[in-house]
Amino acid sequence: MIEKDDSRTMILDGVEVSFTPGETIYEVASRSPGEIPTLCYDKRLDPFGGCRLCVVEVEGVRNPVASCTTPASEGMEVRTSTEAIDEHRRILLELVASENRQIDVDPLRGYASQELTELVDRYEARTGRFEGARSGSSRTDDDNPFILRDYDLCISCYRCVRVCAEEEGDHAINVLNRGFETRISTEFDGSLKDSDCTFCGQCVQTCPTGALGDRKAMRYEGEPGNIEKTRPICPYCGVGCSIDVMTRDDRIIGVQPAMDGPANLGALCIKGQFAYDFVQHPDRLSTPLIRGEDGELHEATWDEALDRAAAGFKEALEKHGAESVYGVASGRAPNEAAYTMQKFIRAGFGTNQIDNCSRA
Amino acid sequence: MSATSDQDLIESWRDEPAPLLPVLHAFHDRDGYLSEESMRSISQGLRTPIAELFTTVSFYHHLATEEGGKEKPRVCNGPVCCLRDAGKLLEELGEGATAMPCPGRCDEPVAVLRGDEVLLGLSATELSPIPSPLPAPNPGGLDECVFGSIREPGRSTLEGYRKTGGYEALEKAVNKMTPAELVEEISDSGLAGRGGAGFPTGRKWKAVAEAPGNPKTIVCNADEGEPGCFKDRAIMDHDPHAVIEGMALAARATGATRGFIYLRYEYPGTCAILERALNEAKAAGLLGENILGADGFDFRIHLRRGAGAYICGEEGSLLNSLEGKHPFPRNRPPYPVTHGFEDLPTVVNNVETLVSAPPIVLRGAAWYQALGEGELAGTKVISLSGDIARAGNNEVPMGLPLGTLLHDWAGGPAREHELQAVTMAGLSGGFLAGDDLDVTLDEPSIRSRGSFLGAGGIIVFDQGRDMVAAARNAMEFFADESCGKCFPCRIGTKRLTERLAGSSGPGEMAGWEAEVRDIGKVMKATSACGLGMAAPLITESLLKYFPEEIARRLK
Repeated sequence: MIEKDDSRTMILDGVEVSFTPGETIYEVASRSPGEIPTLCYDKRLDPFGGCRLCVVEVEGVRNPVASCTTPASEGMEVRTSTEAIDEHRRILLELVASENRQIDVDPLRGYASQELTELVDRYEARTGRFEGARSGSSRTDDDNPFILRDYDLCISCYRCVRVCAEEEGDHAINVLNRGFETRISTEFDGSLKDSDCTFCGQCVQTCPTGALGDRKAMRYEGEPGNIEKTRPICPYCGVGCSIDVMTRDDRIIGVQPAMDGPANLGALCIKGQFAYDFVQHPDRLSTPLIRGEDGELHEATWDEALDRAAAGFKEALEKHGAESVYGVASGRAPNEAAYTMQKFIRAGFGTNQIDNCSRA
Repeated sequence: MSATSDQDLIESWRDEPAPLLPVLHAFHDRDGYLSEESMRSISQGLRTPIAELFTTVSFYHHLATEEGGKEKPRVCNGPVCCLRDAGKLLEELGEGATAMPCPGRCDEPVAVLRGDEVLLGLSATELSPIPSPLPAPNPGGLDECVFGSIREPGRSTLEGYRKTGGYEALEKAVNKMTPAELVEEISDSGLAGRGGAGFPTGRKWKAVAEAPGNPKTIVCNADEGEPGCFKDRAIMDHDPHAVIEGMALAARATGATRGFIYLRYEYPGTCAILERALNEAKAAGLLGENILGADGFDFRIHLRRGAGAYICGEEGSLLNSLEGKHPFPRNRPPYPVTHGFEDLPTVVNNVETLVSAPPIVLRGAAWYQALGEGELAGTKVISLSGDIARAGNNEVPMGLPLGTLLHDWAGGPAREHELQAVTMAGLSGGFLAGDDLDVTLDEPSIRSRGSFLGAGGIIVFDQGRDMVAAARNAMEFFADESCGKCFPCRIGTKRLTERLAGSSGPGEMAGWEAEVRDIGKVMKATSACGLGMAAPLITESLLKYFPEEIARRLK
């Protein structure tokens, strides 16, 4: 089979590079050294073109163009960092810094929360110029336990709105008003719990300023010690989302989605994102328990517990037949385990009474 | 009689193209505001997420969300009405009255919008509805294109229009020309976009004719929101069939089968006039199927009212607004000629551009071309207002000296003061003053002074006026109308407004100028659409002509 060669070339900062038709300048440039700054960009989302930090010079075009929305074209000559471009970026960052209460936030607020801080420092934009009214208004009245809505720090990049619509499909939030008065709002400006929000937390993790914060992780803000990240698969369901579990001194202090997780690409649901307290909960069973003759539960080994369960099933089978057994597979198990479970019930017990909790 | 039910209102529009705006207006008109319950019904009926619907409603200035809101008076706080003490009128009207951006009645300030009526007058007791005045004939008896027949009696009716040559261009196009010849005629004439962007009309039509994808669409941009611009209103009020004929010609040239007139909310009278004209044209077989007996020439026009947002005059925002989306501008490329309404090939033309087409088709490209001075093609309608003896619309040859228009055509200053400055492109071109008032009315001349002609609104300020105050009023407008999509415009217009008002920013000239110039530079270079690119011309030109006024203010 002959493959059609679709590649084209353009000049990027003086170097000839190839690209595939349909790629944007930013996508092409992201394969080369030198990082084009962005604040409204999230590679999972449709390019938006709001922050204008990614502007680049294109030979023969009068004004700089936004590299995130402009398609690469054959023979195009692009300069990603010139004195003029870098000055535009610094002024833009000074303007953004001027609208916020603070620039520095604790990294526990969210995965992308350091983006603004890092860019402001990279372009030396912590100058205090362009002071004036501040934008946004924090929703301190929204007392949900998961998502902090500290909109004093919002820079109107709308990544939260777009991730909610494009990735999660909730459409729970959108852009209220216009211009400097824009705010992120739910239907009728209410709280998240009265909206279509499912508390998946993706808005938190894509927010580049910490205006949206992970309230559960923020409980541990300011404590001493390093944060370690471990990459397991979320135990909740069969999708297999990769998560980064954040621990400090062997204690889980938060979960962040793995942006490169093959099954989720940064997406999580409310359970994977926020429901990890059970791991270290004092009520959690950490060893099998068997009810003794005295009517009380006693710690046991797994062998003892399995023997006891097997004996119970056998007794039921002998006394009441196969119809006395009903299997319910866990929705947290993957397909392979669900298959094994039904085989176990059908072949092992001889009954078709097998179900899955997800069906309930 | 009981009010129409939510469901009936939604069902009457649901299967029509571009249903959101008319549904919103239907509820707004029925109840006098948009209640939470209405918005929930519409959200369900049109399958639009409720948060999106709620916030999209908030984007528009004129959709009231509190009971009785629609009938509350709104007083223009635009640049011209403010010269006539619009603030005092707002106070007189008392509780419930609010300010609104320019509704395009600068020829007869002050304008008040109340419900579906525009009232004019200088005090609360003398407010009355006054129809758009006819443009005065030019003093030199010069040949006109746009206004050539507009003063004929009865021109706004189908009968009057046909008596004075109306729809003859369409007949000629259908019977004697191929669509390609039609495009060529328009191209040869040199006609370019009269909404301000100046893109060659023939090239636009050609691109849509050749673009793959159907159905194609003709959008008439009648969202004349630029303060100081009121030419499209005069055209539509007195010559509505010319708009329809122009659109039909564009449809014939491109193969488009559907058309929209996107009319600004602030022109309720025009809405009724256009509606009547559309019905007349439909009944006469000038719209619909097999128009003028031409097999397969099908074209329908849908009238859609905006809801109060300057940015919807920007074609990407306009298309998003029509589609019921949040009206942010679109990223370009792709352009509307390939990815317009519903991502299909679309012509978006200004009213003045479209009405220029029929005379060009009838009288030929060479005739139109020759209407301009020297090498310049055609004419431009200029809306003149402010401190000028005869405010109004004038169709001038491209290249007419500004001084000739101001003094010979319009009678010079209105008051005892000398002229001090004029704005260009409504407010978008900033100010011209001093020696730069010797420009001619064409883009090359005006651009050479750092401004642009744009949609052709010129506001005159005499020596008695405070130019820093005028600049602040202009920048407040841009800040209020900035959509909020791109950072430089959203923050920049706010910061410039604050600096012009003196409410924040450096208190000495050097620091003030450095900040204002830096903001202006980044806005011009990086803004996502024309609003943010043009707004800093206000501060730039203020610094150029009136630095001492700024310095005096800072002390």
